[in-house]
Amino acid sequence: MSDYVLQAQDVAIHYGGVKAVDGVDMTLERGQIRGLIGPNGAGKSTVIDAITGRRRLTRGKVLLQGEDVTALGPTERRQRGLSRSFQRTSIFAQMPVCKQVELAAYKMGVSDPGADAEDVLRELTLDRMGDVIAADLGYGEQRRLDLALALVGSPSVLLLDEPMAGLSVKESHDLAHHLKALAGRRNVSVLLVEHDMDVVFGISDVITVFELGRVIASGDPAAVRADPRVREAYLGSTA
Amino acid sequence: MSITRLLVPAAIALAAGGVFAASVGSSTVLSLLTQATIYAIFATGLGVLLRQNGMVSFGHATFFGTAGYVVGILLQTKAMPAEAAMLIAVLGIAFCAFLLGLVVVRVPGIAFGMLTLAVGQMFFLTASRSRGLTGGADGMNIDWPSTLFGAEVSALLKPGPMFALCWSALVLILLALALLLRSRFGAVTEAVRDNEERARFIGIRTLVPRALIFALSAAVTAVGGVLASLNTGFVSPETLHWSVSGVALMMVVVGGTRALWGPALGAIVYFLVKDVLGDYANHWMAIFGIGLIVVIVFAPHGISGALLRLASGRAAAKSGAGTAPLPLTDRSHHE
Repeated sequence: MSDYVLQAQDVAIHYGGVKAVDGVDMTLERGQIRGLIGPNGAGKSTVIDAITGRRRLTRGKVLLQGEDVTALGPTERRQRGLSRSFQRTSIFAQMPVCKQVELAAYKMGVSDPGADAEDVLRELTLDRMGDVIAADLGYGEQRRLDLALALVGSPSVLLLDEPMAGLSVKESHDLAHHLKALAGRRNVSVLLVEHDMDVVFGISDVITVFELGRVIASGDPAAVRADPRVREAYLGSTA
Repeated sequence: MSITRLLVPAAIALAAGGVFAASVGSSTVLSLLTQATIYAIFATGLGVLLRQNGMVSFGHATFFGTAGYVVGILLQTKAMPAEAAMLIAVLGIAFCAFLLGLVVVRVPGIAFGMLTLAVGQMFFLTASRSRGLTGGADGMNIDWPSTLFGAEVSALLKPGPMFALCWSALVLILLALALLLRSRFGAVTEAVRDNEERARFIGIRTLVPRALIFALSAAVTAVGGVLASLNTGFVSPETLHWSVSGVALMMVVVGGTRALWGPALGAIVYFLVKDVLGDYANHWMAIFGIGLIVVIVFAPHGISGALLRLASGRAAAKSGAGTAPLPLTDRSHHE
């Protein structure tokens, strides 16, 4: 059991009669990258919100390194090593790049926040932007800053909600390979929601497919790709 | 920014205030500037709230007026020396503001403004109607003792020393704020202001920093209120009225919050304009109103923002730290 850094058990989020997520079980092993795919409205982002504490669960449990964190808020979960990026870029617009990443490192109790921030910024090729106010960055750079805020402070689990949203094909493929290398190097487990199938199948160790708030398939990329239900529900004939 | 770059201007400002107070003979000019400086402290407090929390208060006169009342009532009881009463007024208001802040800073945008307005009017009405305690609508005289901090009060109340005292208080407050806000606490409050949700997701508990800024803002404004009660020896419900909060807000908008000293500059400009245009008595506020519109349209960061841009050029202005655009024109970062 404790091999899993993250476990979602029977997670459900209902809004009135709408079952956005309805009884999802999912696990993440150390160092693993799990891709989360499914049509729009399948509940992928809602699951991310549930795991990170942005939304309260209607039912179920979230375990982080074996510890039940269901009752904790996002701040406490982050302090226990659960980190996330956002689908809609979420950064500190009026603060210089380095200052905000360093602040995030400091809040994670890193012994040398400046050095850690510098490291992460270098890995995401933002090191020359340290003194720039975030609002003045280009879109792609702001996406990477969002990632930097999640990566700093050595989290054990990283939840990425469409990190490539709005990037060009080349940019997203570069970032994808970069992410995989980064996850390996920093020994962080990743839960990745992404629309770009090439990216998801390219870098994930395992894939979970959502439909209407439920998991319809889960396994290694080849098996998922071959699953007839997945082909019918989501991938269509092009996969 | 090194500390020297803060200490040197502060020392120069302190010395200049002293020289100015000693060399200007006109008591009219000095008392006008004393009043302007007191309101500069008031506006600085209000500006801190806007700059670090991105929140607009329509009830800050509460802290300004209440400070005078607390000093007045404590002196009436003769239970403690005046110095202690002044200290209790400022610290007590800061503490109460912190508790109030824990509730009101959770409320976003206009609703926060309305809450502060409601609290302010509550204090205004209480002071107006409690004749026994506050003298009601007539206000109350404050029995200052004959000496304060070892100085003769009668000498202190002369225009020159009074201006020097208020000016020094303003400069020291600005210096203290600058030192405080360049610390980690300043960075935390900036992050919370920019994007509260993301702040939670990088491990920041956002409520207490916001309430602390609210308390800090109230404390600075309360210092202005204590000095006002010393300057006039009198406090009345008018100092609690929402229109006083409104005037202070105008000073903040005119001065801008891009620089810490922006609101103070706005207050001084306000009083100078008021004096110069005073000949047009009834209409000066209309002229000031037009000026306010011009500032908001052409210099949304106020006079201080425009000055900073002139001083350092566009490139440097882009990378200037800790800038809070007026929420009137920019809400896009508060998703």
